[in-house]
Amino acid sequence: MAAIGSAVGLGNVWRFPYICYENGGGAFLIPFFVAIFTAGIPLLILEFSVGHWARGAPPKAFAKIGKKWEWAGWLTVLMPFIVATYYVVIMAWCFSYMIYSFDLRWGAQAESFFANFLGDTGSPLILGGISLPVLLGLIVVWFSIFFILYKGVKRIGKIVALTVPIPTILLIILTIRGLTLPGAMEGISYYLAPNFSKLLDANVWLAAYAQVFFSFSLAQGIMITYASFLKKKSDLTNNAFIIALADAGTSFLAGFAVFSVVGYLAVSQGIGIDTLGSQIAGPNLTFITYPTAISLLPFAAAFFGMIFFIALLTFGIDSAFSMIEPMSASVNSKWKISKAKATAIMCTLGFFISLIFATGGGLYLLGIIDHFIANFGLVTIGLLECLIFGWMFKIYRLREHANETSDILLGRWWDILIKFIIPGILTTLLVVSIVNNVINNPYPGYPGWLIVLMGIAPLLIITVLSFVLMKIKGNREEQQT
Amino acid sequence: MNLPLSAIVMLIFGAVVLYGGLAYFVYRAFRTKK
Repeated sequence: MAAIGSAVGLGNVWRFPYICYENGGGAFLIPFFVAIFTAGIPLLILEFSVGHWARGAPPKAFAKIGKKWEWAGWLTVLMPFIVATYYVVIMAWCFSYMIYSFDLRWGAQAESFFANFLGDTGSPLILGGISLPVLLGLIVVWFSIFFILYKGVKRIGKIVALTVPIPTILLIILTIRGLTLPGAMEGISYYLAPNFSKLLDANVWLAAYAQVFFSFSLAQGIMITYASFLKKKSDLTNNAFIIALADAGTSFLAGFAVFSVVGYLAVSQGIGIDTLGSQIAGPNLTFITYPTAISLLPFAAAFFGMIFFIALLTFGIDSAFSMIEPMSASVNSKWKISKAKATAIMCTLGFFISLIFATGGGLYLLGIIDHFIANFGLVTIGLLECLIFGWMFKIYRLREHANETSDILLGRWWDILIKFIIPGILTTLLVVSIVNNVINNPYPGYPGWLIVLMGIAPLLIITVLSFVLMKIKGNREEQQT
Repeated sequence: MNLPLSAIVMLIFGAVVLYGGLAYFVYRAFRTKK
């Protein structure tokens, strides 16, 4: 349940529907399903097997392969920690907007309201002050994460028993409401009408693999950490199938909630859906387009606004604490630092780092760091995982470990996927990203030093930090043996 | 406006694979209690 909560997050609502629409509509489902079964589920099984076999957080799991690989484990847990520092800021926005939903405070001017709310300076070079509503939201969200994590796995279990079904039910309510609105079918048609010619475009297939990779919380140490808590007889393979299909199923459902309302907005304002472009994705969808559509609803607009932001908050909170848990569990497992203390340190540190994204230039800084982590950081770690577990270790031992407890038995095809096919796909993704970034500078107006500072430097710093953390001697008994 | 037939086919295809598959694997988990 916790792994489903981790995988299902804001991206399912604001990324998948747009990616689907952009890459052939309903036809995108074909490469998407191929990516799920050839990369997503095999990688989930790999991470589950590693965590379940090593019975520990990623640094311990990588060190079990060979002491020299412990750094890769630290890198795996540092990456989601960095992601959490800005992911929590988006949740803070959702928290404020949930309160604003009471009286639909954004009114008819959702775009300017959002800019005022952020204290938007219009440039990443001008930080401005920290937005007070965002700061309050940050305090609430970081404290919630601490409260959920500090007592360990049992409390996580209780929380996810609520935070996994609740947003799904809310999403179903939003979908039903959306589908009953005028113009909904136009929106759904844009979402699902297939353009099969797109299947000949290699970029569509890469987008499918990228979507699966990012959406399943892979290469962040989360699944390895959660698998270490599973019972010894847990069916690892079946669990991987459930998580993958639950995550993809939520994304598919979210498409109906988003596009039905987008269709309604387009019909209400007399504009074409294609003119909305990137307004159907990311923060623009959540904080401008969707609120605009909500305020046009004929009745109970505030109610549906609140439902939307509560759904986002509850979708996001599982993902947010799952990004902190691997780091906190790793520190707790290497040094004699209690779980509560380790969690408090991580949350306090995370809070102070996230303040930079709460400034007037925070939105732009957040965009830069997210771009580099999503395009380079996570893909590199996924590649490292495949290479280290596939080539530096006898991969069949992990397969045999999974088969010991699973009903669906893995064959040698799984070894081939982990050793050759998935690294090949991830390398292609990485090369295409690098080439695209070199040819088409994604931030033409920004100075080079800013891109280095916010995009490249964090990745280099956590890589160096990974080696430093590996070198520092642990003082837990199990580390000394 | 009605939904085009091709969109309905993709809707059914997606729903069967995702929700049918999910129901099947959840059923397996309950059956084996793992």
